[in-house]
Amino acid sequence: MVNDGGQLYTMEGVAAGVIMLLTAYIVISTTSVYTPGDTHIPDMQLEQLGSDVLAMMDTPDREGTESDLERFISAGDSADFEGMFLDYCNMTASDTDDLHMSANVTYREASSNVIKEHLFVEPDNTWTGRESAVRVTRWVQLDYRINPGTYDGSRTQAVLVEVLLWRA
Amino acid sequence: MACMNEDGQWIVLMGLLTALALFFLALIINQSALVGQTTAEGVLEFPKNDIRDLRSEIFDYIDRFGTMNFDGDAIRKDIIEISLARKNAVVGFTVGDPQDISGRMLRPVTIHYYNGVTEYDETVYY
Repeated sequence: MVNDGGQLYTMEGVAAGVIMLLTAYIVISTTSVYTPGDTHIPDMQLEQLGSDVLAMMDTPDREGTESDLERFISAGDSADFEGMFLDYCNMTASDTDDLHMSANVTYREASSNVIKEHLFVEPDNTWTGRESAVRVTRWVQLDYRINPGTYDGSRTQAVLVEVLLWRA
Repeated sequence: MACMNEDGQWIVLMGLLTALALFFLALIINQSALVGQTTAEGVLEFPKNDIRDLRSEIFDYIDRFGTMNFDGDAIRKDIIEISLARKNAVVGFTVGDPQDISGRMLRPVTIHYYNGVTEYDETVYY
């Protein structure tokens, strides 16, 4: 029969083993610690995505023609604007993403030199005001000869399209 | 403490080392909450897209108007006033007459952007 001495050493050995295993686990899992600072990274990616989508929409098919973005803004076609924007945004390799948007157009009234805003696309029912939404903007030049009377009337003007983008 | 059994000092010493190690690990976890905060904020605040968009808008403007005329000056004011109102950025740009640059006629364009943190100045021939 074995004797029953050294029980404390056995317990110490087991405890040390457990501590070493725990330490190894903590060290290996450190890379997946999601700190509050990391929450800005999805925002950053969302901002870049939105800017790229607006840049795509603002690229005309041929030189000298109107881009899709210019056409939607000058014609006040908010439904098609929203449709195309969300279509480009939500494209992923497999499933679709769940991004939502609202948009407004800022213009200047030259006669009174007042900056005015026009709600172009209303937020849908996923908007609660608590989303961490990002804002992306794009300048658009509107030619008054194509759609006279939009925003500041009959002059060629530069307006700022601002899109608020969030993931629901 | 005198006359007590002095066995097991090695175990006590290991216990002390383990406690110290745990203390430092806790310190690291405590600090990790702040890791990346300023970096990510710095990247978010940096107006990269604003400046690129302003540049492309100014080049569009030159394509359409060349140097200032009546409509062009109104657009210039649009860009300056709306930048100040909606982006808190002081923006300015000038477009000169075409010059002979290595055999090509190009316009000197100066662009200025300043939002209180980031300042950007550029002179480009377009």
